[in-house]
Amino acid sequence: MAPSSSWTSSATQAGQAPLDDGRTQASPARALDAATLRSVFCDLLGRPPFAAERERWLGQARHTLLDALLGSEPFWSQWLEEQLYYFFLIDNFRPESERVLAIPADLAAGKLDPREATHRIALSPSFDQRNPGADTFVTVVLEQFTGITVQKNVRELEVGKAIYDGAGGTFLGKVGKRQADIVDIALHHKAFAETFVAREYERLLGESAPAKERAEWARRFHQTPREYGAIVREWLLSEAWDRRAARKRPVSNRLFARALYVDLLDRAPDEAEARRLRTALDGMSDAGPLRSVFARVLIDSGMVALPDKKSIRDPRAWIAQRFEALLGRAPSAQELEAFAAAFADEACRPATVLYALVTHAEYQLY
Amino acid sequence: MSFEALNRRTFLGATAATLALSAGLGAQSAERKTKHVVLIGFAGGVRTRETFGSPSNVPNLVSLAKEGVLYKRVKSSNLGHYGAALSLFTGVAEPRGIRENGRGEEPTLFEYARKGLGLAAKDVWIATSGGAQQTNYSYSTHADYGERYGANTVDGDGLFNAEFKSILETLGRPKKLDEREAELLAKMRASIGGADPKAALNNAESAAQVERFILDELTGGTASLRGPNAADAKAIRVARNLLVLFKPRLVAIVLQSADIAHGNFNGYADVVRQNDAAIGDLMKAIRADPALRDSTAVIACPEFGRDRDLNSRRGLDHGDGSEDLEFVSAVAWGPEFARDRVIEDDVRAVDLCPTVCQLLGTTAPRAKAKALPRLYA
Ligand SMILES: [Zn+2]
Repeated sequence: MAPSSSWTSSATQAGQAPLDDGRTQASPARALDAATLRSVFCDLLGRPPFAAERERWLGQARHTLLDALLGSEPFWSQWLEEQLYYFFLIDNFRPESERVLAIPADLAAGKLDPREATHRIALSPSFDQRNPGADTFVTVVLEQFTGITVQKNVRELEVGKAIYDGAGGTFLGKVGKRQADIVDIALHHKAFAETFVAREYERLLGESAPAKERAEWARRFHQTPREYGAIVREWLLSEAWDRRAARKRPVSNRLFARALYVDLLDRAPDEAEARRLRTALDGMSDAGPLRSVFARVLIDSGMVALPDKKSIRDPRAWIAQRFEALLGRAPSAQELEAFAAAFADEACRPATVLYALVTHAEYQLY
Repeated sequence: MSFEALNRRTFLGATAATLALSAGLGAQSAERKTKHVVLIGFAGGVRTRETFGSPSNVPNLVSLAKEGVLYKRVKSSNLGHYGAALSLFTGVAEPRGIRENGRGEEPTLFEYARKGLGLAAKDVWIATSGGAQQTNYSYSTHADYGERYGANTVDGDGLFNAEFKSILETLGRPKKLDEREAELLAKMRASIGGADPKAALNNAESAAQVERFILDELTGGTASLRGPNAADAKAIRVARNLLVLFKPRLVAIVLQSADIAHGNFNGYADVVRQNDAAIGDLMKAIRADPALRDSTAVIACPEFGRDRDLNSRRGLDHGDGSEDLEFVSAVAWGPEFARDRVIEDDVRAVDLCPTVCQLLGTTAPRAKAKALPRLYA
């Protein structure tokens, strides 16, 4: 049995209906519709579902999808991407070392927990290069790992810098002697668990975690970092997540880059494709115009499998499918009317319908 | 379409709008000779020793100082690159996390300018070199300001990255839509009712202009710039093109390649020299453009300096609290400024924000700073 299985419910291990999940049983309405399916995939894998996955999971219970995704290697790959982004270990600073690249597989195999994985990231040469010098390194560790503001904790900064330079000292209440100790001490401080849980909640739910629950999750995580998967499972089955799904969240540039490839080409972009597009989008305070440019470039590239207009026997059904796949919902009667009327015009191509959907503000939400 | 052709044809409408707008401004700004301000955050941590302390490194900045005002003691705040550069724009020195990817609470001068002067998004730009984090300079979270008064940012190295250009070259450019198809597209888009569009930075018109600017720029030479300061050079080039094309009221440039200094002193000195040369090119474009020549002010200032002594890697960090770190030099050049004036008194880096606002004819009510002294002729 894989050690990671503690993250999924025991029911899935037996391949039976999960009778142990009271919440799920109490709310049979948690069947996956197009919108929630899209949101779960985007939240956990950083991309919408492929066509085959959509077919496989539509109408299934949300928790069975969670059991399949949580703890999987794609889930941890996405987790790692988000962590690297948080530490700004991107572009030239993206870690290339095997130890960091092996993190998703090692997490999926249960050889690592998220705290140990963070430790690996922090000890990578990229992290050191990204944060050069004692002042920067210690400041970043304090700020990003423990949420401590250095301007208000000058003592910790000064001691940390001394340890970085090889002199000993008591940092965050523990004795350290060298640079690696700074990382080690910070990661095992309870402030790391608090900061990490708060940040992850915000990343997945799009809002701050309620204080009381947050403290409890942090306590659990601090004691047993492997609880992370179970905690995320709770989050995605919570009413807070239902509200988030109903409210919709803005699509980040990194999600947009991946979503566009999946939605239009039914494949994920490779690392370089995603990075180039994301980097370009990230440089704009309003990425909307560039998103539109790129969406049109991709649609017009000849790579998108578009049906010949004549072969579309039932335009309304085809349009409705496009709505469902791209916006995660059926068109309203009014929308369907407007699209069908436009489509009937000779000048409207199937590509024109795609332009309209992927360049619209609603496509920028999920 | 060439840059110039684009300028003449596609943007005729935009120019007319700009003219109408400037005509509508109050008498206050009509009296001012300064119509455009270029604010260069010569950032990444640059000491006076390598700029005005070594004039041969920065011949262009030196000649700006000869024709303008040099502030030799500008007090900066060691808040990390991001926080310190942000404080140039907000006029408030507030601590920000070094890797924090969040907006500040204090309004930026871009918001002051857009709100105070009623400027459109295309009138206020930031050309950056450091990617995602720097887009946060665009606007704050302040309730009275925020996104609807934000500046458009373009990151030179992100957009004009040779690799990104190569994807576009592989995929090709988008098809030009004929009039009928464009009309149908607009109808379909307008019929979609699911999202509630909030106050965005660009309205539909300026978004379309930005879209065209991007497409045109992507086919230009910016992507092929190389060298240790490539990211900075691209930011300066983007700013130059924006200036020539949109004639914006305010363009800020945020450089950062000098931070290579942590591990490489010589590389750092090279960056300083090359950035000075790129600023020389920018000045050439301004001086060559009749619409900019006599109406553009240029101000350049680092966000902070660097340590006095080399570290163990023969580089320069920033954190020793020395004068080299905390005092930098700033230069101001423009139609209304004094010529060949050197100010030895202490001023503050945060003073740039109210200075620029004053020049444009507005104020920075929340800045904790005052306009630079003895600037005007
Ligand atoms: Zn630095």
